[in-house]
Amino acid sequence: MEEARLVRALQTRQTGAMEQFQTAYSPLLRYIIAPILPDERDREECLSDVLLRVWDAIGSFDPERAALTTWLTYLARNAALNRRRANERRREGGTLDEAAPDPADGPEQSLLKAERARAVWAAVGRLGRRDRELFLRKYYYYQPTVQIAAESGMTVRAVESKLYRIRKHLQEELGGELHG
Amino acid sequence: MDEFDRLFDMDPGQLPPELTELKPPCPWKKPMGLICWGLALITITINGFGLNLLLPAVGAVLLWLGLSPLRRENGGFRLAYACAALYAVLRLTVVLLQATPLDGRLAGLIGGEWNTTTGPAPVYNVLWTVALQFTLVLAVGGLWQGLKGVFRKAGQKPRTAAAGGLVILEALLLPMALIGLEGWLLVGPILIIWVCLILSLRKLSKSLDQAGYALRPTPAQVSGKLVLCLWLALHLLAVGVLPLVFARLPDGVHAQVQGEGVSDSPLRAQLLELGFPEDILGGLEDGELVRFEGAYGLKKEGYHDPVGSHQDGMPSVVTVEVPVRDEKYGFHTVYLAHLRWNPGEASGGYMEGVQIAQDIQGVTVRTTQVEGVLKWKDSAGTAYTMPLDFWFDTDNAGTPCCYTNFSLPEEVNGPTEAFLFWEAMPSFPETVHLYNYSVTIAHKRSIWQYPYTLPSDVLTAGFYSAPSWQWRMYRWTSEGQMAPEGKYDPRKY
Repeated sequence: MEEARLVRALQTRQTGAMEQFQTAYSPLLRYIIAPILPDERDREECLSDVLLRVWDAIGSFDPERAALTTWLTYLARNAALNRRRANERRREGGTLDEAAPDPADGPEQSLLKAERARAVWAAVGRLGRRDRELFLRKYYYYQPTVQIAAESGMTVRAVESKLYRIRKHLQEELGGELHG
Repeated sequence: MDEFDRLFDMDPGQLPPELTELKPPCPWKKPMGLICWGLALITITINGFGLNLLLPAVGAVLLWLGLSPLRRENGGFRLAYACAALYAVLRLTVVLLQATPLDGRLAGLIGGEWNTTTGPAPVYNVLWTVALQFTLVLAVGGLWQGLKGVFRKAGQKPRTAAAGGLVILEALLLPMALIGLEGWLLVGPILIIWVCLILSLRKLSKSLDQAGYALRPTPAQVSGKLVLCLWLALHLLAVGVLPLVFARLPDGVHAQVQGEGVSDSPLRAQLLELGFPEDILGGLEDGELVRFEGAYGLKKEGYHDPVGSHQDGMPSVVTVEVPVRDEKYGFHTVYLAHLRWNPGEASGGYMEGVQIAQDIQGVTVRTTQVEGVLKWKDSAGTAYTMPLDFWFDTDNAGTPCCYTNFSLPEEVNGPTEAFLFWEAMPSFPETVHLYNYSVTIAHKRSIWQYPYTLPSDVLTAGFYSAPSWQWRMYRWTSEGQMAPEGKYDPRKY
């Protein structure tokens, strides 16, 4: 109920709504961003980007379609991943060799890669609830194993071996397409 | 980053739509779930199949495991974690103690009784209840403060009323237990409030979704499942194995080879003439026979069945009443209870207890403490004796009784006999009085028992209160008289 009121306040641009939103949801946004961006300054900038994006896009947010936390998680993850890619490109750009071939995938390769990814995600969807949760923490939220272990009440070793088994299972299910 | 990792490191736009509907992982879900289950299992009491021990043991571990990742977050959680660990250890200590005779000894050392509305309870038990409940209150209090700290850290208003309510309720349970408040009218509403508070606490993890993302849990060093299994194994070991160590009372420690103390004295002949059973008389040494010096009457009750039609593990009982002349009182009466276990019964016993209770009608009488001796022969034919230590105590109904506990020897050839003597001296020796008494025998049938219970504890509770199928009880009552010479008539009463 409080969540719906806050969304309405943001949509109607009420005074103090953004401060309230920041107090309530900054921990969640930081939680999603932190594992993807190791640098503290990057994280703060990314958080600002996400808050700005929320302010701009809150009008299009439909609580009937998704929960606010789901939407925020999606925004934060995308923003953090985009920033990480941009950072990587910038780093690669520093040593760019004019004569080197373009490392980007061609249209056909991209299509194949996307197809394969969809097959993998479909296999992930068929995993058990706990395995899927563990897998998503690692490969969707990019959480470090130590964090996953602490939050799941497992030892680091147990998480590693569980993830190894899940990967093995996925590889088998996908007919050895992947080689980890 | 290998090929597998790269595959997932794709443009978010390429992800299947269902992944964009994912709810974010919640670092609070697991710890709060464990804490709530822990508190629930600690409080639930289900009797039967050892669940009254196992469920709280599991609950204590779950509470501890739930608080474990939170312990570095703030002082409140640290306190809660330490108290949860202490609570689990205290509970295990209680289980361990109750599996051994130490529990009874400590209760005896501390002594005293605490009066509740449901009856008196040993102070020792009350102290344990206070220690356990107080530790639990501190643990829940720490949890409450810890949760408040998390909300404050996130700059949010604390929404921890459920945890606060739980502290008050757990604290209330302590005086309720001490007063002994029972009954569904009182317990029912409290139970409902308690369930509501636990459910609210469970829901709290959802509101912590916002504040709680600032949490940095401590990684587990040991797997929770391993801890739980080890803890349960320790409990099962305590319940299942420790009682086996103490299944029998130490026997043979004071056993001595019986001397040649039987002679053809005129006293034996006189007692035989009075009707003393010959087989019992043959087992009495001269030193024991001296008690009957000056006998002027005799009454025997009961008989020994040589084929053993008695209940499993039970002896047959014969009682002999002998009034003897006495310079000080004019006369006093010597009582002998002779218990005989047939060979098969004697070797199968684990613990035996005897209670001798006197029901004196209309006479003031001074009674001596019961003296007893156990006699048997081993396979080589060597005769042994072992003194039985009796002590005075009242039973739960307030009747003064004499008790002894012992285990029958394992290697026997022939019957095992117990000779129990006591003397009664009336304050008005010139008149005839009725003198009734009972000999009650408790026999532990099984090697296993939990909690550790001595036969005297079972006997104190009363003849009709055998605690379980593991116990068998038998009562022999005898009616006699105390009468001076000339007035004593064994045919009467």
